[in-house]
Amino acid sequence: MLTIVFFALSGLDVLDALDVVDKPGLIEWIYSLQVLPTDDKSNLSRCGFRGSSHIGVPYSSSKGPGAPHTYDSGHVAMTYTGLACLVILGDDLSRVDKEACLAGLRALQLEDGSFYAVPEGSENDMRFVYCAACICFMLDDWSGMDCQRAIDYIRRSSSYDSGIGQGAGLESHGGSTFCAVASLCMMGKLQEVFSERELKRIRRWCMFRQQNGFHGRPNKPVDTCYSFWVGATLQLLDVFQYTNFEKNRNYILSTQDRLVGGFAKWPDSHPDPLHTYFGICGLSLIGEAELRKVHPALNISMRAFESLRQLQGAWRQKST
Amino acid sequence: TSNKTRYLSHSSLFLDRKEWADLEPVPQDDGPNPVVKIAYSEKFTDVFDMFRALLQNDEKSERAFALTTEAIDLNAANYTVWHYRRVLLQALDKDLREEMKYITAIIEDQPKNYQVWHHRRMVVEWLNDPSEELQFVAEILSQDAKNYHAWQHRQWVMQEYKLWDGELEYVEELLEEDVRNNSAWNQRHFVINHTSGYSDSSILDREVQYTLKQIKKAPHNESAWNYLNGILQDGGLSSFPGLLEQVTELQDTCSSPYLTAFLVDLYEDALETNSSSYDQQEMFNKALELCKFLAEEKDTIRREYWNYVSRSLQNTYGSGDPVSASSDPPPPPSSSQLPDMEPSDP
Repeated sequence: MLTIVFFALSGLDVLDALDVVDKPGLIEWIYSLQVLPTDDKSNLSRCGFRGSSHIGVPYSSSKGPGAPHTYDSGHVAMTYTGLACLVILGDDLSRVDKEACLAGLRALQLEDGSFYAVPEGSENDMRFVYCAACICFMLDDWSGMDCQRAIDYIRRSSSYDSGIGQGAGLESHGGSTFCAVASLCMMGKLQEVFSERELKRIRRWCMFRQQNGFHGRPNKPVDTCYSFWVGATLQLLDVFQYTNFEKNRNYILSTQDRLVGGFAKWPDSHPDPLHTYFGICGLSLIGEAELRKVHPALNISMRAFESLRQLQGAWRQKST
Repeated sequence: TSNKTRYLSHSSLFLDRKEWADLEPVPQDDGPNPVVKIAYSEKFTDVFDMFRALLQNDEKSERAFALTTEAIDLNAANYTVWHYRRVLLQALDKDLREEMKYITAIIEDQPKNYQVWHHRRMVVEWLNDPSEELQFVAEILSQDAKNYHAWQHRQWVMQEYKLWDGELEYVEELLEEDVRNNSAWNQRHFVINHTSGYSDSSILDREVQYTLKQIKKAPHNESAWNYLNGILQDGGLSSFPGLLEQVTELQDTCSSPYLTAFLVDLYEDALETNSSSYDQQEMFNKALELCKFLAEEKDTIRREYWNYVSRSLQNTYGSGDPVSASSDPPPPPSSSQLPDMEPSDP
């Protein structure tokens, strides 16, 4: 559920409409999803944020130690979106147990450099590499991951066609290409990992995803959310300005639902929070009026990013 | 609950069943100010209240296992339920062959769910038996030939259990059905890469000829052109004997933006390697000419991009002054588009 809250909150932020939201109430709820260390700290490798209260842990707003529960663990995408939501809501992250989050994150990384979503095990792919990078980037602490291994995983996920797949050998895909490039940008290592020649070929692969809107793979239908996944990647690679804004915009708007609002992947389809959010972000990238700018790697508004930077500056000062 | 159901051992709700009377249901607790209020059905709440109770006690029983089946039926994306089911499968030493049948049915019904594929992988690993996998994945792909989960599972099985035989034939069947199936082209590369490799010139020749043949059948096919380009990257496009001629020959009958872009790449490769087999000036002129052709006619949606490619070529290989876009100021050495990643000073 936290991911859905993220789409809604970040979407409202980009729309500059966050004042409709009960910020303190939401902040409390998000903190209630934090998996905190228990008294004996035996669950450090399971810390982070849950997606919801679905396993029945009693409500607690991160003001004391965690309640032990055999099956209670964080989920990497929830830790990422939890932190992002707190930042968007203007919270100072003072109730986040950063060391516990980072310990929980380290426990999720595999030998090949990719990440599980949960310590109990799950699938592993580029999505969770991205979530991990966002967490480290927001907490301003890369001890949460072995960057070199993650970089190796990214390199091994490059396809023969220069796009990037979810893992080695897998088909190149707009989503995983975004996850890889955005992660490297947040690490500050894009130019170190890919040569100029390789970057040129990634740019070419991404540019060819535009049909009117964008698709995620060659010969697949376009889908609103790729206006962000591929658009943001192109922005990070400095060539988004060379895409066709008009066709992209017209496509995104064609997927809007005239009755209930929101955006869907295709025209005349049911809207959902994900496509609505990424439709808005896709429009923001092309400079749509009245939309805030979006940080193309971290995927929050530039306004939220600025407040994060202020926060991180204060942390750095405190630690010196 | 109605009078009718109170004394029955099978009620529609677990809450009312006497076999569950010892278990106190555990509700979801979102505190005083719940943010996301999902309107769960009575059945959903009943099943998951019981699930939470079982979880809390870490109960390992047949009834718990049966409950996970109900929970999955209501929400197959709940990864905690799947994890708990796996714990029970092992603790109760359940029949994994039966579990394979079960997960087969669930995947058929919901082939784009992450948890179901992960669960299948776990069961296959426990059984150490991949014998049904390739056929199963082929069945799923027959319904959606580009299902990413299916391809991912297939690649895992093949690599883990070294099941490479017959895969190239399978890929060719799929490409016969749809020569534009990008997943099949990717799989082609995957198979060859892990078996013969591309270093052998007879293999590379075979692949180039196969790809050109597919291009002739369906010229407007990015997948085929990407494959051709991809397999020739290592050696260099301009180094492959006769390729320029073969591709140029296709220009009239098999024209597409991909063909033209391929030629631009070939010319650029000749420039980059400073190949003596080509007239450098001619390569340069032709590359620019094709960029213009793409921008103005063949690939107008990417007009600005092709102008940018042209400028880059001119700046790298041209003899004149540096070129920049008429509308832009000269770009600084590092990107001006990129937000500064560093935290600000307080």
